[in-house]
Amino acid sequence: MRDFEDYCWRDAVSATELHIYAAYVRERMVGKRPALLIVHPGAGIEIAPAWIAPAAQLLAEARLRGMPVVHSLPPGAAAVAKLEPLAAEPVCARPCESAFFSSDLERTLTTNKAQSLVVCGAPTSGALRASVIESKSYGYKVALAEETVGDESAFLHKMALFDMAHKYGDVMSLAELIEQLDAGKAGILEHPSAEIPQA
Amino acid sequence: MNAPPVSTPQVTSPRAWDGAIDAASLALLARRKVRPFAGTRPVIVAVDLYDLVYDGGAKPVTELMADFPASCGEHAWRALPPTVELYAAARASGVPIVHVTYDTRLETDPRGIHPTNRKRRQPDLALYKIKDELAPVAGELVVYKKRASAFFGTPLAAFLNELGADSIFVIGESTSGCARSSVVEAWSLGYPVAVISDCCFDRSELAHKASLFDMHLKYAEVIDVNAAISRMRAMITKRAGQA
Repeated sequence: MRDFEDYCWRDAVSATELHIYAAYVRERMVGKRPALLIVHPGAGIEIAPAWIAPAAQLLAEARLRGMPVVHSLPPGAAAVAKLEPLAAEPVCARPCESAFFSSDLERTLTTNKAQSLVVCGAPTSGALRASVIESKSYGYKVALAEETVGDESAFLHKMALFDMAHKYGDVMSLAELIEQLDAGKAGILEHPSAEIPQA
Repeated sequence: MNAPPVSTPQVTSPRAWDGAIDAASLALLARRKVRPFAGTRPVIVAVDLYDLVYDGGAKPVTELMADFPASCGEHAWRALPPTVELYAAARASGVPIVHVTYDTRLETDPRGIHPTNRKRRQPDLALYKIKDELAPVAGELVVYKKRASAFFGTPLAAFLNELGADSIFVIGESTSGCARSSVVEAWSLGYPVAVISDCCFDRSELAHKASLFDMHLKYAEVIDVNAAISRMRAMITKRAGQA
């Protein structure tokens, strides 16, 4: 895995910030029995689509492994093309920013036996960030791949990922995250709905 | 997104985030849609203003890190006089202050369960006492929390209802952490929110400014303490006029 600070915020923060945040540097991993939470952005936000293809790849990898997949949809917004929910995948409507606020996400995660989360979506500095912070507050370990989140502002995207990586979730690349899933470190093989062969 | 009525952004200058935000991000302010800050029953929510973050005195954070790893140093001390001024004005006007601090009961803090992923030595729990200059006075409410947001797992939402709050001023630390997540939740609950920039602080000045800008863009009106005190007095005067 790359160095903890070797991600998109490397050109946005100074050595002083890295020094101040050094106490947060740690080993990163996907938690046990992860679910994939897709935070679909609201309508009318202009977000460059670069995050969608990597998020679709992550979604395919999650489905392949039998991970629970949960979609968070704001009112009046359609699911992002290429990330549409399958019939069996729960969709939790959210009225505000955090996917948990005034939604049935927490009970959906519990009934789907999720014990940790992989989160992707947009905007990084808005709904995604609020959802990651509340995931941590609810006691879920959170992992994110930096390519699978996007924002209308490159600066706010980097600052939000910098902040989340240090305080609330484990940020890595998509390849690193998939490698974590493959290695079985994430305990997906224990998941009752997993259909991949026992290692 | 989904913010009710649109207000024209108030442009004042200088802004608390000056010098930290790139032009492309600043341009997003033209599309800002934030619930206007208005009301007649404001409440101040003061997040995590305990001794721990003032530890070691008004020095640069980088100088304090070794001995006082949780201190916000000079940033905390810089915010102290405006916050004292704000409290005096609020108490004179009858505006409630709800204080928020960390729940230090050992049985609520089992091993390995923490509000953020920071590796830390367990600080002296007595340092979670609210700073003397900002201490609650008789009759003021205190919320004890375990997580980033002042609302998560606490009765704060109920307190605000019982106080009849219709608008919330948020102050405290860290700007990018607990203050910010409390602002997002206050906004999510439907309140108009104002963030008082000079009464907020962070260990990182960049994180402080980026979050102030981001909150102003999405969830709140970011104003300085002088503006906040005048707005607060005007709200109370308006309420008296309605009585």
